[in-house]
Amino acid sequence: MSDLASQKPADPALAAHVAASIAEARGIYRTLFPTRRLHYVLSMGHDPVWSRPEVTEGPHLPRPQDLGADYLGTITCPSPHPDAPEVTIRLAIPRPPTPGELRQTDAPWRPIRRLDWLFRASPLAYEQMRYGAEMLRKRRADRQADRVAMPLGRGSALIGTPRPPASDKRPAILIGMHWLEMGGAEKLGFDTVRWALAAGLRVFVVASIPSIQRLADRLPDHPDVTFIRLDRYLPHALWPRYVERLALAENIRAVHIHHCTPLYDSLPMLRMHLPWVQTIDSTHIIEYANGGYPRISGVWSNYLDMQHVISRELVDYMQGTFHAPAGQVVLGRMLDRDDTAASLPPLRLTAGQKTLHVSFIGRLYYQKRPVVVVECLRALDAWATRNGVTLSATIVGEGPFEATLVALLRLHGLSGKVAMLPGKTDIPALLGRSDILLLPSNNEGLALVCYEAVAHGCIPISTRVGSQDEVLPEGLLVPLAPRATVRQTVAAVDAMWRDADLLARHKDGLQQAWTRLSADPTAEEVLTPVYRRIAEGTRA
Amino acid sequence: MSVLTMTAAVIVTFNRSAKLMKVLDALAQQTMRPDIVLVVDNASTDDTAALVQARAQADPTIRHLRLPENIGGAGGFHAGIKAAYQLGAQYFWVSDDDAYPQPDAIGALHDALMGFQTQTGWRPSFACSRVEWIDGTLCEMNCPRPVWDWARFVQPERAWALVDSASFVSVMIPRWAVTDHGLPIADYFIWFDDAEYTRRIARSYPGIFVPESVVTHDTPDNKGVNFALVDDKTLWKFRYGARNETSFRLRDAGLVSVLAYAYGVRRQMRSGGVPAPLRRAIYRAILKGYSFRPAIERVT
Repeated sequence: MSDLASQKPADPALAAHVAASIAEARGIYRTLFPTRRLHYVLSMGHDPVWSRPEVTEGPHLPRPQDLGADYLGTITCPSPHPDAPEVTIRLAIPRPPTPGELRQTDAPWRPIRRLDWLFRASPLAYEQMRYGAEMLRKRRADRQADRVAMPLGRGSALIGTPRPPASDKRPAILIGMHWLEMGGAEKLGFDTVRWALAAGLRVFVVASIPSIQRLADRLPDHPDVTFIRLDRYLPHALWPRYVERLALAENIRAVHIHHCTPLYDSLPMLRMHLPWVQTIDSTHIIEYANGGYPRISGVWSNYLDMQHVISRELVDYMQGTFHAPAGQVVLGRMLDRDDTAASLPPLRLTAGQKTLHVSFIGRLYYQKRPVVVVECLRALDAWATRNGVTLSATIVGEGPFEATLVALLRLHGLSGKVAMLPGKTDIPALLGRSDILLLPSNNEGLALVCYEAVAHGCIPISTRVGSQDEVLPEGLLVPLAPRATVRQTVAAVDAMWRDADLLARHKDGLQQAWTRLSADPTAEEVLTPVYRRIAEGTRA
Repeated sequence: MSVLTMTAAVIVTFNRSAKLMKVLDALAQQTMRPDIVLVVDNASTDDTAALVQARAQADPTIRHLRLPENIGGAGGFHAGIKAAYQLGAQYFWVSDDDAYPQPDAIGALHDALMGFQTQTGWRPSFACSRVEWIDGTLCEMNCPRPVWDWARFVQPERAWALVDSASFVSVMIPRWAVTDHGLPIADYFIWFDDAEYTRRIARSYPGIFVPESVVTHDTPDNKGVNFALVDDKTLWKFRYGARNETSFRLRDAGLVSVLAYAYGVRRQMRSGGVPAPLRRAIYRAILKGYSFRPAIERVT
């Protein structure tokens, strides 16, 4: 008789994937529990990103759920000490992602089921209602959210403080990111990896959100850069213990947090057990619901040695709300000094011109309000038709709103006028042929794309959020309420198109703001010296 | 795709013990034998139970799941897939009691599911065989429905076309599809349960037609499902089919789809000269389908 199906050898590619995943997980848990006896209870997962880890310290009695249909097997890793306590780690090995998941993990966006009819009748009315609900939530959150920095006792000289152990390894830095996907915070995260490496540090990178981590291949291909997949294999509750072990094993002298919640949770451990480790964070946006990461940073102010922010609004927020010391809060713009050294090209839009190219660049998530973008384009199209202007537009980005945008553009008869391009599009080239950049976001820190737009001769129009008023003059900032956003965007374009003097004033305002921003220190300029001092073994 | 390959064959039977024994013979000769052969016996009144139990004594892979009453093919597949899921199978090979797989039929379906994912990265929601009638021609009632881009991955050596609907005659379904989409609808009793189910799981990704996997469907005649063929003898089946498809279309595509379906049925019946009383019975079934909303059961 032939063999049973279950005896069929595994597909070699899949077997290699499973072996690599197990090796990754074992590396993490051996660092976390260097002296324990480790039992891995492994199953085949149905999730492409998350291994659903469960860790039991002490004796573990196998349960039926450990041996379900997807059970792969058990691996026991002995300890150097025969009587070492045991730890059982239950992992569901993530399956390989499909091409669709590699492109987009989030399900396509759909309106709330009960308000589906409203979205079909009027997308803008739906957006207006969502805006109203958000404002209500924000008012409630403002009353509830804690905005006090937690006190940190410095201890008494009577009781000694821990000292760093001797290490034969070069100093290292742990850089914690939200995830390795597209985004402004992520761009800064990648930059800091490069700067830390250039400063002579060994770099360990972790991410807090389980994800495909599509941009992991953008990390420098260098032996001193290690990406550890804690996001996939380690429960958040164990991160502080892991960070402690890693810091001691790898001579980590600094932790830099980019929107990485479990690293904030590791701060008490660092202050208590590893006080020599420098703690730095970078924040960008005061988000609506509860203040977002800047609020988290503010609450942890006393535990941080340096709070790097990208806008003056955040400097004021940290110092005003959380009373962070002036020397601790450091402004470093997310700008490239090489670009700022060049002179600005003339802004392209002229009064009365007969063509208008409008662009939107951003991830197609609600934060960027892509539905409002389409409504703006629709209103601009009507305006262009009335005034004999030929309108064309480009939307660059990917995300769960993509299908909705395609449907809306078709519905409004804009498919022929609006090109939709993927996120890897040549942005400088696009900005170099655009007249207007739309950015009707729900929240922004200081949108780098507006700064880039000006540098390429394109005039940005943005909602009045975050620190956008640092980069745009008054007439190019529009209200956040969706209907008002659309109305004022068209009004702003119309005013510049009709009134050459006003247009000149806006151009002048943009250039002044651009010059002002360029005069501020860049993130690289404020962070690199800190990294260098850490690499040299002196406190930053 | 999983490194785990435990496979269960789910065969639903009712009073066709001779054909069922030929199916079990064919399964025993497979190049890749199922770990479990689950015979779902719809309360047969012939010698099915005795024969299956006798076989099970000699072949430990055979399990006899005798249902207390005949709940139709739909109920049988529902119960069989549910039981096989609980037994821990990673793949479910689902078929009728009168379809004889060629020795490499199951292995070919399995290889195709694996090979397709290795080659393209996509996970097909099912793989179905070429179903031939006893004379070697294509079995009319078991022709899968291609999707619009069915040829996307078709190669000379791997002619796996994308399909979104197939019958429960030699179709292999991976466990994840059952986890994500639930079980076939038992309340359909008979007809359209397979089309509804494969279309439902194909929402994740279409299935694939695997022509190198061949089964022979030993039906009395080789006729497709066409309302022009309604007669007194087959009316009961067509009524179930009309009710079930109406219910499915209403759930998935709304009233316009139901109206289009009713119009198509009417046209077929007129072209076939179906007598008026039978036509009215079919229309009543369509009306019944409008309010027939069976629940989809999920697995846990």
